[in-house]
Amino acid sequence: MRFFTAAVLGLFVPSLAAASSITSQQAVPADFKPPQVFKNTNLVRNTNLEKSYVRETINVVVENVDKSPQSDYYVPFPTDVFDRVGGFEARDKKATDKGRFEVAVTEPVPSNGIQYFIVHLDEPLAPKAQLTLGISYSVLASLTPRPATIQQNDKQYLTYSFSAYVPSAYQTVTQKTKLKFPSTDVPDFTETDGLKSGADPERKGATYTYGPYETAKVAPGTEKPITVRYQFTNPVITVNLLERDLEVSHWGGNLATEERYWLRNNGSELENQFSRVDWTFSSYQKAPTSAVREITYPLLPGSSDAYFIDDIGNVSTSRYRPGNGKTAANLELKPRYPIFGGWNYSFKVGWNNDLSRFLRKATSGDSYVLKVPFIQGPKMNEGVQYERFVLRIVLPEGAHNVRYETLEGANSNGLPGKSQIHSSLSSFKTYMDTLGRTTLTLEVDSLTDEARDAQLIVTYDHSLMDALRKPLTLFGGLISVLVAVWFVGSIDTSIKKR
Amino acid sequence: MAESSLDVLLKGSSGQRTRGLLRIIIILTIAAAAVASRLFSVIRFESIIHEFDPWFNFRATKYLVENGFYSFWDWFDDRTWHPLGRVTGGTLYPGLMVTSGVIYHILRLLTIPVDIRNICVLLAPGFSGLTALAMYLLTCEMSTSPSAGLLAAAFMGITPGYISRSVAGSYDNEAIAIFLLVFTFYLWIKAVKNGSIMWGALAALFYGYMVSAWGGYVFITNLIPLHVFVLLCMGRYSSRTYIAYTTWYALGTLGSMQIPFVGFLPIRNSDHMAALGVFGLLQLVAFAEFVRGFLPGKQFQKLLTSMVLLTFGLGFAGLVLLTVSGVIAPWSGRFYSLWDTGYAKIHIPIIASVSEHQPTAWPAFFFDLNFLIWLFPAGVFLCFQKLNDEHVFVIIYAVLSSYFAGVMVRLMLTLTPIVCVAAALALSSVLDNFLVMSKPTAETQAKANAKDAKIYGKMKNPVVGIYSYFSKAFVTGSLTLYLLIFVAHCTWVTSNAYSSPSVVLASRLPDGSQMIIDDYREAYYWLRQNTPDNAKIMSWWDYGYQIGGMADRPTLVDNNTWNNTHIATVGKAMSSREEVSYPILRQHDVDYVLVVFGGLLGYSGDDLNKFLWMVRIAEGIWPDEIKERDFFTARGEYRVDEEATPTMKNSLMYKMSYYNYQSLFPAGQAVDRVRGVRLPAEGPQLNTLEEAFTSENWIIRIFKVKDLDNLDRDHSNAVAFEKGIKRKRATKKKGPRVLRTE
Repeated sequence: MRFFTAAVLGLFVPSLAAASSITSQQAVPADFKPPQVFKNTNLVRNTNLEKSYVRETINVVVENVDKSPQSDYYVPFPTDVFDRVGGFEARDKKATDKGRFEVAVTEPVPSNGIQYFIVHLDEPLAPKAQLTLGISYSVLASLTPRPATIQQNDKQYLTYSFSAYVPSAYQTVTQKTKLKFPSTDVPDFTETDGLKSGADPERKGATYTYGPYETAKVAPGTEKPITVRYQFTNPVITVNLLERDLEVSHWGGNLATEERYWLRNNGSELENQFSRVDWTFSSYQKAPTSAVREITYPLLPGSSDAYFIDDIGNVSTSRYRPGNGKTAANLELKPRYPIFGGWNYSFKVGWNNDLSRFLRKATSGDSYVLKVPFIQGPKMNEGVQYERFVLRIVLPEGAHNVRYETLEGANSNGLPGKSQIHSSLSSFKTYMDTLGRTTLTLEVDSLTDEARDAQLIVTYDHSLMDALRKPLTLFGGLISVLVAVWFVGSIDTSIKKR
Repeated sequence: MAESSLDVLLKGSSGQRTRGLLRIIIILTIAAAAVASRLFSVIRFESIIHEFDPWFNFRATKYLVENGFYSFWDWFDDRTWHPLGRVTGGTLYPGLMVTSGVIYHILRLLTIPVDIRNICVLLAPGFSGLTALAMYLLTCEMSTSPSAGLLAAAFMGITPGYISRSVAGSYDNEAIAIFLLVFTFYLWIKAVKNGSIMWGALAALFYGYMVSAWGGYVFITNLIPLHVFVLLCMGRYSSRTYIAYTTWYALGTLGSMQIPFVGFLPIRNSDHMAALGVFGLLQLVAFAEFVRGFLPGKQFQKLLTSMVLLTFGLGFAGLVLLTVSGVIAPWSGRFYSLWDTGYAKIHIPIIASVSEHQPTAWPAFFFDLNFLIWLFPAGVFLCFQKLNDEHVFVIIYAVLSSYFAGVMVRLMLTLTPIVCVAAALALSSVLDNFLVMSKPTAETQAKANAKDAKIYGKMKNPVVGIYSYFSKAFVTGSLTLYLLIFVAHCTWVTSNAYSSPSVVLASRLPDGSQMIIDDYREAYYWLRQNTPDNAKIMSWWDYGYQIGGMADRPTLVDNNTWNNTHIATVGKAMSSREEVSYPILRQHDVDYVLVVFGGLLGYSGDDLNKFLWMVRIAEGIWPDEIKERDFFTARGEYRVDEEATPTMKNSLMYKMSYYNYQSLFPAGQAVDRVRGVRLPAEGPQLNTLEEAFTSENWIIRIFKVKDLDNLDRDHSNAVAFEKGIKRKRATKKKGPRVLRTE
């Protein structure tokens, strides 16, 4: 609740994102290099491979080695990786409740094809001062199944390649990388030679540690490629596009949600074709599989009228458990067929909610505040990655002065920064609208299901006249039809003589 | 008091208005009942397009809505009949799609976002409401009784004979065609009765609409001339008939020629010659009538006879000449099969293989029409009693359509309207006589007698009636009972027989809950999502439209059946050995083969049960290669188990159906639940195809056609090599040893 009020109050601060901002990339000169004003004293990278995407958290102690206070910290990525980096955020580890730092992005540097995230520190770091940065992000589509084709009942293995030296724009004194695998079954991994004394990596259960390395003398940007291959007999669920529509109806007191998925399993493809016999037996035994067998989809308590359809109609294999009003409702979706590696499945789900739980009227004026989940999506153990996410909030006809704000918690929740959300306002005509309904569209690339808990707040103004527009229009329309009918009926077109 | 207030409502000029309002309310209620009783499938399943042909209509409608009218008109569809394609825009009746398209655009104009699928699904119920209204109008023309029209509308609204083709989701031409049929007849009767150009033109307009909507328009094309012809033969020529018919024929024929699929048929096809002939005859008769006014009787007789003989001779000779020279197309095969029910089975197996082209079984009449079927003759008899022009029409219609309905199940649909009219006439006359509560008073009786006496000199029409309350109560009571049973029957038939989408199957679990078997859509959606956009699917033609509509993939053959040879090719591929089939599949770019197999579930409409038709159709083209006899055992049985003939066991269809099926069961226990037999312990071996997908209940099986072998082996060798079977070295025939000399 604290966040709610804070955010609502914050909305009226002019510096917040108005619904017309556009993500922009800063242009850079052809041979751009970030000024060497920082030094990474100590860097720990945690790479989490338990999900079907890579989640990395870098905790780095940064020291200003320049003579003047500095506030721009550059984080480099090659362009092809950069496009797949989602939910990038950086915080001060010592003061996490202050929220995230502002982040900007640059265009690719033409000479070396590197793109930078620029972390703007709230307060410039004084010379010689240190700061602990917590940078977290996820990288989509960076796991490759090897072997690329497997038998239907085989285990699936993924490979992940990265550099033992964490790519950084600055000199790093010590660094190490911790890898967390989903299981201890890691048949292949690179053993480094001569980077440090002793065994590298150190293995402890499902956690492998590369480093620590003393890299004070190593130039920034040096790469030491490492590849690991580990068992992941789960689907790699990738949503190529998710369109989520929220429709607010003041008259109906209803919040209608519809989500359209274009889903694909990026796991190993089947070496032979699909065998129904094997599938029947393995589902009977509930054996682990690289195919999507079922998608569970938690909904908010009180959700009703859930549906699950695809291009050719209702998917009769789904089941909706509505909960009892307080407990969460559950939508159990069983796709028409198991989704194996390389297979696609597109579908739609939708449901209704009581609007009163999401909408508040401001105590004064015609302002409304809408608080809705930013993204809901299925909850799967193996995680879901969204390559593109388009959220459309259809507000009542005549709503104006629309502003939005995403809510973030004390910890990272996989949400991209404001600069990574592309927002636009448009008008959407339906159900006998005259002006069209104000529609706020938010577009995000590279999102993961970690953002499931994030909330979105939209405020808008909507007056009584706006609400009455449609009934009056309809009334006027019907009257004019009646008048026209009466007029036509009273015309005498006969050619008889009277 | 109550009675007097009722009197105010029902008598005098305000009474007339009240009754009019009441009628409107009743008609609306009937229309609502008609719509509601067709919604079983939507409520039980979902808003889905049914069966086979509707899927094509739906796909065409989507094409129309997306690409606009002109590109629909010129639509060449390269995703069907691969590699031939189909000139779809020129070979379909566009009325249905255009109707839905217009509704869609009107709704869009009002910014009501209705999915085109929902319009298509609900079009047939919507039009059935209109049919009830048209029926009311038509019957009101036949009878002066106020109740006949309402009864006919109610009958039409719920009779299963019409519901069978117009439940929600059965988006077929008949959905709007029956409304157009009835309404055109209504306008025609109006035109004949009034001799009005306006009504004639309206009839022609709706006839044109009908032509654009359904091939059954030929029924109207022949029935109206027949009506006129019979009127002429009865000596009932009048200027009213002349005006009505000439207007209708001239405008209607021009209208019908605007449809590309019909084109010049109205002047070149034998089916349409009757209308043209009657048109000519009517001119002659009119001319004769005209001449008669100027000539004395004897001369006129002579002139008439010679003229009739001359014209008939000339006309007939001309017709024969034109037919022989090929200007006029001879009767089509479907037409012959109307006269000789055995014709199709011998000459055109593809027509005979469709179940709706089979002759009707007698119980079907009762099933579809219930008690209307025995009221029907009574109603026709009543028409004989009055025998105005419109009653002649009813009689002709009744006789013709009774015959046609007996020949083809599908034509039950054209019989239904006239049965409803006749039954309503009969029932209303009974009700009118038995429902009048009051006895005629002595005064009115005397007055009527006096009036009759004055006019005819004697009592010609004595006031007769049923005065006993018992007989009144008994008759009306039993009729009410019949009506109630009729409603119950209609509901039961609709709910049980006609409301299954057939794409989705339902069964009951032991606990009574419904289980939905959705294998068709499972497999079609798999195809849609996981195969290349232009992967060619080969299946038997029944599933062509569904694959086009749901899987959105090109097919080899579909329900359009315009090219018998192409269908026979598919039949040949299905019924031949792999070595023969594989080249055929390669030549036709086939990527996937889809078969329907009901053995696991006991689903009897599967491909193995249709297999003999494939064999027969293929045999029609390649009698030397495919022989139906080879698929029967020596004792003439059609078997699939151990005893099956080698031809059967080696056929592609057999192999695909049972491939890998035995591994679901313990060894040697594999059972086919449709045919109720135990299968051989060793399943069939497929070399040139591989199983790509099988649906949950095995109803749909999809096989991928293998590419040519990389090492240029034939597929059987390649498969044997993979399995590690050592190839038998071909033992060379050793001749006598010869000394090698260089």
